[in-house]
Amino acid sequence: MIPQEIAQTIIDPKAYADGARVDDAFARLRKDMPFAQAHPEGFDPFWVVTKHADILAVERQNELFHNGDRATTLTPIEVDRKVREMMGGSPHLVRSLVQMDNPDHFAYRKLTQSWFMPQNLKKLEARIREIAKGFIDRMADMGGNCDFARDVAFLYPLHVIMEVLGVPESDEPRMLKLTQELFGSADPDLNRNRAEIADADAALAQIGATVGEFIEYFNAMTEDRRACPRDDLASVIANGQIGDQPLGHLEAMSYYIIAATAGHDTTSNTTAGGLWALAENPGEFAKLKSDASLIPSYLEESIRWVTPVKHFMRSAAADTEMHGQKIAKGDWMMLSYPSGNRDEDVFEDPFAFRVDRSPNKHVAFGYGAHVCLGQHLGRMEMRILWEELLPRLEALELAGAPKRMEANFVCGPKSVPISYRMH
Amino acid sequence: MSDRKTAWRTWQCMTCGFIYDEAEGLPDEGIEPGTRWEDIPGDWICPLCGTPKGDFEMIEI
Repeated sequence: MIPQEIAQTIIDPKAYADGARVDDAFARLRKDMPFAQAHPEGFDPFWVVTKHADILAVERQNELFHNGDRATTLTPIEVDRKVREMMGGSPHLVRSLVQMDNPDHFAYRKLTQSWFMPQNLKKLEARIREIAKGFIDRMADMGGNCDFARDVAFLYPLHVIMEVLGVPESDEPRMLKLTQELFGSADPDLNRNRAEIADADAALAQIGATVGEFIEYFNAMTEDRRACPRDDLASVIANGQIGDQPLGHLEAMSYYIIAATAGHDTTSNTTAGGLWALAENPGEFAKLKSDASLIPSYLEESIRWVTPVKHFMRSAAADTEMHGQKIAKGDWMMLSYPSGNRDEDVFEDPFAFRVDRSPNKHVAFGYGAHVCLGQHLGRMEMRILWEELLPRLEALELAGAPKRMEANFVCGPKSVPISYRMH
Repeated sequence: MSDRKTAWRTWQCMTCGFIYDEAEGLPDEGIEPGTRWEDIPGDWICPLCGTPKGDFEMIEI
């Protein structure tokens, strides 16, 4: 069994905000107990999957390790109980691709899969470049000081996905606020009540209110797109069919919500963390400045470095074994992506940020049937931003201490103050 | 011999979008450039997401 101090650390939103605390905890686990059970207070016990190869093995066997049977993110016992009460026994407040297993997962993913393939995304490239240039011009106008997270990284991917989805620009601040409330529900700077969470009731009330506001918004959008379809993703969801039936209501709402949240926040975190890493590593910045052909490897390294999705949970659909340990049907498992992406058996010098790292087979997008649907869009957005920004960025340094969000699911920097020189 | 018979083809993973190009092969995976799709073992899986070979589709690039 994992020592209690480590079990508490790997669920602690403040440890993820600290960074080093959670990195140290997972480094100890990879070394001493790479596949063991944690029993943190207030949670059902769960297996912690820390090694890169084991994460791949679990994700590849999606018939054996399910998404839908138990909560897909770390959820305290009391919150889980209340969610099941509210949702007629289901452990999920929403039912997106993340919470589905086959056959539903395949059918619902197929609905938008081709839309997210690189060949389809090419048609967006010119428009995304225009949006990126707009943000870079704005950064140049700021006179050499900005908070890169708040002024650029949070806003650029938000604008792209909202345009793709069909949300008007005037509603983007509301979408950003709701996203940050959802993923930052444990962070008193970002959650709905802007306060420390007192108990399970308070936590669930906040998240429930945020999800409710999303649903209200996207109900109206569904009606609109059914009446007047447009060339946007909302019209695909609103008018999509599974078999010969429209999407279920909860499933349709969840599709919008995942696009409107994970569709930008992950890219924002990676973008902010990628520039933070360059500012902290002037040698790597210089290397990248002198060789633009390193942008793709820098991009992959920033994704590995930040790993914005900190975990997903799976549960065993049958009795099985891993690492000689008996896993019972129904056992809960935490796939730790930051740990897999610092695995010493896979990455040479994993705690070093290298813009030319190769190979770099990180697991930040997951693996297997549930691999991130938006990975090509996220990569394209970041590639375009760096292609446009780096040639203009002559000098870069931190202008204060960056801060990370307090969260244990999707998170990254919430503030990256920089000073810079641009032309 | 027709062009169709000799032209290299590309195959795409329907889960993650990874592209296998017969002309380039996958030297990192031990698949030489010029390896035809048919000559890749049936138990081969997508190097990016682990999807089985059977879930790839031929595409035009």
